[in-house]
Amino acid sequence: MGKYITKRILLMFLTLFIIMTMSFILVKLLPLPAVREMGRDVNLILARREKMGYNKPILVQYYLFLKNVITEWDWGVGEQMYEGLNVWSVMMQKLPYTVLVNLYSILIAIPLGLGFGIYAALKKNKWQDHLISTLVMVFISVPSYVYAFLIQYFLCFKLGWFPLQLESLGKAGSLFSWRMFSSMIPAVLSLGFGVVAGLTRYTRAELSEVLTGDYMLLARTKGLTKAQAISRHALRNAMVVILPMIIGEFIGILGGSLIIENIFGIPGVGSLYITSINVRDYNFFMAMSMFYTFIGLASGIVNDISYGLIDPRIRMGSKK
Amino acid sequence: MKKLLALVLALCMVTGVASALAEGFELAASYEPGERVFDGGEITTVKAGGGTGSEMTTDVYPGVEGKDYTDEKVYTFNDYTAELTASTNWDPLSWETADDSAILDYISTGFYSFAMNTDKSGYSVVNELAAETAKDVTSEYVGKFGVAEGETGKAWRIALNKDISFDDGTKVNAYDFEYSIQQLLNPKIMNRRADSYYAGSFVIYNAKNYLYAGKTAYDLIADSAANLIAAGTDVYLDMSFWGLVGAADENGNAAPQYVNIADDTKYRDAAVEEGKDEAWVSAKYLYGTYLADGMPYASYASQYLYTASVAPETKWEDVGFKVIDDYTIDFILQNPVEEASFYIPYNLSSSYLVKKDLYESCKKFWDADGKEVATEEEASSITTNYGRTLETTVSYGPYKLTSFELDKEYTLERNDEWYGYRDGKHKGQYQTDVIKVTVINEHKTAMMAFEKGEIDGIALASEDMEKYGTSKYVKYGPNNGYTTKLSFNTNYEKLASRGTNSQVLVIDEFRQAFSYCYDRKEFATAYTAAGTAGFGLINELYCYNPFTGAYYRQNDYAKAGLLKVFDVKYGEGEDYATLDEAYAAMTGYDMPKAQELMKVAYDKAVEAKVYDGQSPIEIEFRVYQSDEIYVKMFTYLNEHLQEACKGSGFEGKVSLKMTADADYYQTNYSGGADMIFTTWGGATMSPFTILYECYCDASDGSGQQMEYGYDTSKITVKYVVDGNEISDTLQNWALWADASAPVESIESKLGKFTDYDYDTRCAFYSQMEAAFLSWYPTTAVYYRNTASMDSQKVQSGSDTYVTLVGFGGIQFMTYNYDDAAWADYIANNQLVY
Repeated sequence: MGKYITKRILLMFLTLFIIMTMSFILVKLLPLPAVREMGRDVNLILARREKMGYNKPILVQYYLFLKNVITEWDWGVGEQMYEGLNVWSVMMQKLPYTVLVNLYSILIAIPLGLGFGIYAALKKNKWQDHLISTLVMVFISVPSYVYAFLIQYFLCFKLGWFPLQLESLGKAGSLFSWRMFSSMIPAVLSLGFGVVAGLTRYTRAELSEVLTGDYMLLARTKGLTKAQAISRHALRNAMVVILPMIIGEFIGILGGSLIIENIFGIPGVGSLYITSINVRDYNFFMAMSMFYTFIGLASGIVNDISYGLIDPRIRMGSKK
Repeated sequence: MKKLLALVLALCMVTGVASALAEGFELAASYEPGERVFDGGEITTVKAGGGTGSEMTTDVYPGVEGKDYTDEKVYTFNDYTAELTASTNWDPLSWETADDSAILDYISTGFYSFAMNTDKSGYSVVNELAAETAKDVTSEYVGKFGVAEGETGKAWRIALNKDISFDDGTKVNAYDFEYSIQQLLNPKIMNRRADSYYAGSFVIYNAKNYLYAGKTAYDLIADSAANLIAAGTDVYLDMSFWGLVGAADENGNAAPQYVNIADDTKYRDAAVEEGKDEAWVSAKYLYGTYLADGMPYASYASQYLYTASVAPETKWEDVGFKVIDDYTIDFILQNPVEEASFYIPYNLSSSYLVKKDLYESCKKFWDADGKEVATEEEASSITTNYGRTLETTVSYGPYKLTSFELDKEYTLERNDEWYGYRDGKHKGQYQTDVIKVTVINEHKTAMMAFEKGEIDGIALASEDMEKYGTSKYVKYGPNNGYTTKLSFNTNYEKLASRGTNSQVLVIDEFRQAFSYCYDRKEFATAYTAAGTAGFGLINELYCYNPFTGAYYRQNDYAKAGLLKVFDVKYGEGEDYATLDEAYAAMTGYDMPKAQELMKVAYDKAVEAKVYDGQSPIEIEFRVYQSDEIYVKMFTYLNEHLQEACKGSGFEGKVSLKMTADADYYQTNYSGGADMIFTTWGGATMSPFTILYECYCDASDGSGQQMEYGYDTSKITVKYVVDGNEISDTLQNWALWADASAPVESIESKLGKFTDYDYDTRCAFYSQMEAAFLSWYPTTAVYYRNTASMDSQKVQSGSDTYVTLVGFGGIQFMTYNYDDAAWADYIANNQLVY
């Protein structure tokens, strides 16, 4: 197992390097937006770009980029967005908001999703199952920003239960204060509905299938109660499929949601990547690309390892 | 049955003949629109008075009588910004965006400011960092700094306010201003705002040389390129001519701004598909193919070809800035400032002050390889984080920054060290104690926050107008002079290459018909928050006389110019008795006329073989995005265009196609769009510069001009000036009015544009505007305006918009409730607007 993990990690870094090289070269082939400012000296902007090394050959730029990242963890500064601000520092300032909102939504969504899924599976084809399945379809079909607007209008504006926007740190005192948490609830709910629905659907489907397995009959005939059979055998088998989905959700919390963050005034990373592409900010694009690539690759490894942990029959890297 | 067969046969024959005709049709290789001569009419000139111009008023609105502006209560103005990435740089020397300047406006003060006059009808000049009006001391510098004997208006002495201090109480004197301007022009920093003192009309002598000392500077050619080459001088092409600055060569090296025209290094033109002609082009190719004598764009050579010179090593002593004593400084300029009583305060309405010890501590030094070094002397470049965080920010304005959360919120509080709270000149102003600005990206959220009383002002969108359009709380104002127009591509080759028959756009009558086919008033009402019907290039906000604040659009000459464009007649025997009646009645909408013009356009297009008379015509309309409002605007225009085609050969054949393109301006600049919405505005005190800078600087889109293919160097405008006929190209006339470069052909006969009084300038200029519009390369749709509401908590200084002052801003804002009373009020009342 250890050898397998080491091999996967080494392969991950190789893949990361290849993607980084390709991304760097391809994005640098795109010219920066033309400078057009009436009555202004565009040479000042060109001088800034020169100072940032943008006129050097691409391979020289790549060498300097790699050197700065590896030796000083310096991802450069913004040029087209957050001009002059350290890219990594901007990301790290914004990431906690995204992580917290998404984390809360998942922590709330997992028990609810599993609970509804198990309940629906146990009540399969009864009215409770039909009700849950119908609601699941509704919540999966409707995009999260629709809930966001509805939640904001009814819970925040009409009823005044929550603030319209996330509280500022100045007001809330800290990211982990109750005031901050309560101001996150509308966004957490908006993000959570979809996750609850997804988990419910998966859990119900998997558990329904498992419950009809021969070994479940065997478990009951050997004397286990229904609850024992479900918790010890059915759920564990069903989790082989469900757990990677949950892990995937956790990985996804770093991605953020552009629309939800915009609606609730969350200064997270949701818009960073797309904006960096739109405005062609090389440094932000590279930092964000590498960050998400790393997360994606790492999540693949974690997912694969998780199979082995849930189901002992799966042996990672075993040749037998 | 036989009849039916005969009918089918006849139909087949007709179709066959038609298709045979179509198959035999050969599109014209080129299209020449014919000679374009515009009659500018007779002008009787009046010379300007010269000197410093009229005196500016200095009376200032004293505030609400009986109101206590200094009580102990707390008044907070809760504002918001919709920008996704809010302010990140409020360094006075290098700020970038409008949001950056929003913070800077509160934490800095200009040498002079413009404030609402007593009766709120206009603006007055107020001394701020300057203690008094600038004095012309040019005579003291004769023989130095390029000042010749007898010259005036080149050196200006500013006596400084002795009570200026930073927010920590540190006093400011003339040497702080000197240090700050030295840093602004520091060649190792290359501050973004350095050009404030050399790129505009207020040019400090040798400022640019100091900034670029020892580096290569590029200047526009002063002789023909051929002569320069023959004399062995290197000539450089500004690669923005073809939109290629930063484009990669085959080795991945980016194209610099200026490339020698002998250089054959090819750069990838991203606007052209790989494998097609001109996908890879060099400076040598572009010069030889387009800009050399006899080539299609030879007339633009003087705007895109440069000679290079190394900027001379310039010592600070040679820069036109002098400290006279602790509280007196001199600006010595390259060009004289005329009508200085307005233009000195106008040019010095901002400032550039930094705090020396903090600024020095914010510097980082780098060598040529990008390695950090210890001292400025060792460094080849310097970066700074001054004005990027709370800790690196210092104020010398009425407010100071007290909290900042990136992309979330910032707060400014009263800066008690600001001289204005003690000098007696700002009484009845600045009741606001705290300004809190929150980032709210979604308009609907901002609207809810406003209705809950959480923010104190809101910009209304078109969808809000039904609900709030008639509210007494709504304020209407111009949007910085912007006019939204439809701009057409009239480059035949570019249009024909698309294969959609959009080349019919080259027919003048087609575009003219388009201009008449939509109702501007209806359009503005339906699709904009507060826009009004637009007719000219220059909108209602532009002032042509800074001393009176008179609006260009209200000038009789300007009105007459537009009536000429839209063919509205007045006078004896005409539809309207007077100019004002005719102007008030002008709509620019005449569907029958549009339909008649379409018939003419059809015949002309077929005759000139730019159209086969049969095929469908698809005109691609590129827009920024395809959201609901754009779709509605597009649908309106498409339906009206098709209505205009009825009864002509174009009927049922013409359609618009909407394409969303976030880079639609860039696409348009390279001729890649058939038509787009274009918008120009800004610099509302300078209407006479907009025609040249926005509409006449390059017909191929490589400059600022968006009417691709419309070449103003091929339009002749003739005036009879004081009885003498004078003709020149529209491009030259516009440059003459712009006054940014000499136009020998006109100046030899008329002198400078600024030699004439403001009405005479309008007489000339209105005809230039009319000349540009007369062949319909663009047609105005609406003048942009803003509609906004103040909350019931606050009261703007003025209910109506005042030039240069707006509604009075935070300076003149007063409060109906303090924070505590407002919190109580909104907790117990439903706000109704």
